[in-house]
Amino acid sequence: MKALLTRWLVCVGLLLLGGLAQAHKASDSYLQVDAGAKGTTVRWDIALRDLDPALDLDANEDGKLTWGEVKTAWPRIEAYALPRLKIDGCALRSTGRALERRNDGAYAVLMLASDCVLKSAPVITYSLFREVDPTHRGIAKVQLTGQPLALSMLDPSRIAAAPAAGAASASEPEHIAPTGAWGFLREGIRHILTGYDHVLFLLCLLLPSVMRRTTEGWRPVEKLSQAVWPIIGIVSAFTVAHSITLGLAALKLVSLPPSFIEPAIAATIILAALDNVWPIFPVPRVVVTFCFGLIHGFGFAGVLGELNLPPGEFAWALLQFNVGLELGQLMIVVCVTALLFMLRDRPHYGSRVIRAGSYAAILVGVLWLIERTANVSLMPF
Amino acid sequence: MRFVPRLLPRFIAALVCAAAVATQAAPITPTRDDEVIETLPAVTGNRAEARRLRQQLAQTPRDASLALALARRYLDQAHESGDPRFAGMAISAIEAWRDDATMPDDVLLMRANLQQYLHEFDAAAASLQRLLARPGATPRPQAWLTLATVRRVQGRYADSDAACRQVASAGSALHANACLAENAALRGDVDRARAAFAALLGDARQPAATRAWLTTSLAELEQRAGRASAADLAFQAALKLDPDPYTTLAYADFLIEQKRPAQALTVLKDQTRSDAVLLRLAIAATQARAPSAAADVAEMRERIALANERPDAKVFHGREQAMFALAVDGDPALALELARGNVAQQREPLDLFVLAQAARASRQPAAIDAAKRLTGEIGLVDQRIKAIL
Repeated sequence: MKALLTRWLVCVGLLLLGGLAQAHKASDSYLQVDAGAKGTTVRWDIALRDLDPALDLDANEDGKLTWGEVKTAWPRIEAYALPRLKIDGCALRSTGRALERRNDGAYAVLMLASDCVLKSAPVITYSLFREVDPTHRGIAKVQLTGQPLALSMLDPSRIAAAPAAGAASASEPEHIAPTGAWGFLREGIRHILTGYDHVLFLLCLLLPSVMRRTTEGWRPVEKLSQAVWPIIGIVSAFTVAHSITLGLAALKLVSLPPSFIEPAIAATIILAALDNVWPIFPVPRVVVTFCFGLIHGFGFAGVLGELNLPPGEFAWALLQFNVGLELGQLMIVVCVTALLFMLRDRPHYGSRVIRAGSYAAILVGVLWLIERTANVSLMPF
Repeated sequence: MRFVPRLLPRFIAALVCAAAVATQAAPITPTRDDEVIETLPAVTGNRAEARRLRQQLAQTPRDASLALALARRYLDQAHESGDPRFAGMAISAIEAWRDDATMPDDVLLMRANLQQYLHEFDAAAASLQRLLARPGATPRPQAWLTLATVRRVQGRYADSDAACRQVASAGSALHANACLAENAALRGDVDRARAAFAALLGDARQPAATRAWLTTSLAELEQRAGRASAADLAFQAALKLDPDPYTTLAYADFLIEQKRPAQALTVLKDQTRSDAVLLRLAIAATQARAPSAAADVAEMRERIALANERPDAKVFHGREQAMFALAVDGDPALALELARGNVAQQREPLDLFVLAQAARASRQPAAIDAAKRLTGEIGLVDQRIKAIL
């Protein structure tokens, strides 16, 4: 008794040491229901390896199913399966048979038909393999004339609450847009306001905008308009550039790995900030901003995957997201410009605000660059 | 189940993909009666005997010893093949007992084991507690040990400790000590746990399987403590004692972590290509740029697409799918979503490690914070996680 117990405990210990799931394709049958104007056809694919425990198809018990064994058992397969599928209002009759090879083995294909005309998603009562394997499911695709394909999962152990086909329809937007109307606009705003790296990059560009670079160094602008036009130029360049790459990435036309994009974004911050302190770019800032904006667009695209943009309304959702980004960006630009414009006449604006701000941005940029290339955590954000 | 609304769109997308996958089916047109069109899964023991048991049970469905024998066979088969349909068939074997109150003790314990296999951890714990609350003088070390394991997997270490101590009261000191040492190791009380395992292994009377299991626990302790060479030695020792699939997979994960993918491929070479094995093959081959990478990745991708035809696939396969998204697809957003869903169910060190990696890769401060917080709440101390959070 003690030895037996120990053996048992060892088994339990080994099996439960961890819940390492050795997952495997579960038992599923596939139903394709096509409702036409004159009647309804059903194609039902059932795995032979699922039918064997219920019907003992393997007559000679050698672990192999031959065509002869399956052919002989076919009337039993139909007699077993047909009473376990009911489509409300349709009397199903067998019209043909076939065999199909799928990824996980051979399937018996039952062709069924009925004269019933379905106007709406029917109630399907499904109880296949209920007494053999309660984890079995039926995966149904229901195609009604002029309506989108509806998919549903049929659970044999819940025949009392027969699930209606169409429980998860591929085309109902309310199932898809998790954030509601204008939800992607809000996501866009949220993303730029909490995307510290994009905000920091914008700040680096804006810092010197209330000053002019002269041979004697930075001098404050006299009028707001002198600051506003360059800002508009820079912000537009950034917007156009990141919209281009965001669109390209979202449409999956161009794809760059985050392992390249994320450090590159950090590098744009370092370079933009460096340029505030020592001019390093041989071209106007607008051109530089445009080039760097292309990189940031890929960064924005990174969150798109997470947002599950619905395929049906892809363009609309993408537009919302981008407009959200621009609105958020505009809020930052307006606030920062107003603040800097007020500060510009302070003595040492050039040395204190531009230099100190740029040095700080360089530091943060370098830390980000290290974090993103070495995959370590250096900063609390 | 907070993640479900977020997963719904993905589920719908998966269903649409599934429609595409399903069309990959090809008709079979047999020409001869003796043409083999399907090879049935291997059974534990003799096929004819398994069928006889099944037929006998159909005649006498409330024969508890018959039902348990069949359920045990199916559960073993589920563990060996990784095929969940056998767990389903085991559930069917004990389905004659519907009422918890009148269910025989052994049947209730079997149901708990099956629930655990299917990742229904709360249900498994409830079944075990119901069993353990039953009056009677019989000590139930198995049930306590299973409960300790379920609680550990759920990340409830204090509850697990309490169950471990009951294993001792029920008369199995060895298992109680190993059980407590495992929890101590998870909490980072490494020296004490190491000493406890050493003491247990010092007893020469232990059978090889017990020694293998203890040595695997020790290897995992060293792995989490960041002592790679000690972990390596312990894994190899465990595999020498008993090359079971669990330890093989754990060692492969360790080798992949240590950026030794070529060795991981060697370790996995002769394993049955279950989803868990294929996943590691795909990751290691990708990392090693091995010629087998493309085929293994494609096969794994297809299996994921097929599994995702079911909405509950994310519960049963969340860990594996997150690992695939992270290591093969380089999609941290998807990996994070899957890893979050997964830790709602299971919270073993690997689950937290995958969550931490996904959070780090996604660069989302909130996600990194949340992973840090969850690890802290559980009380898990793992140097691999610490290094990246």
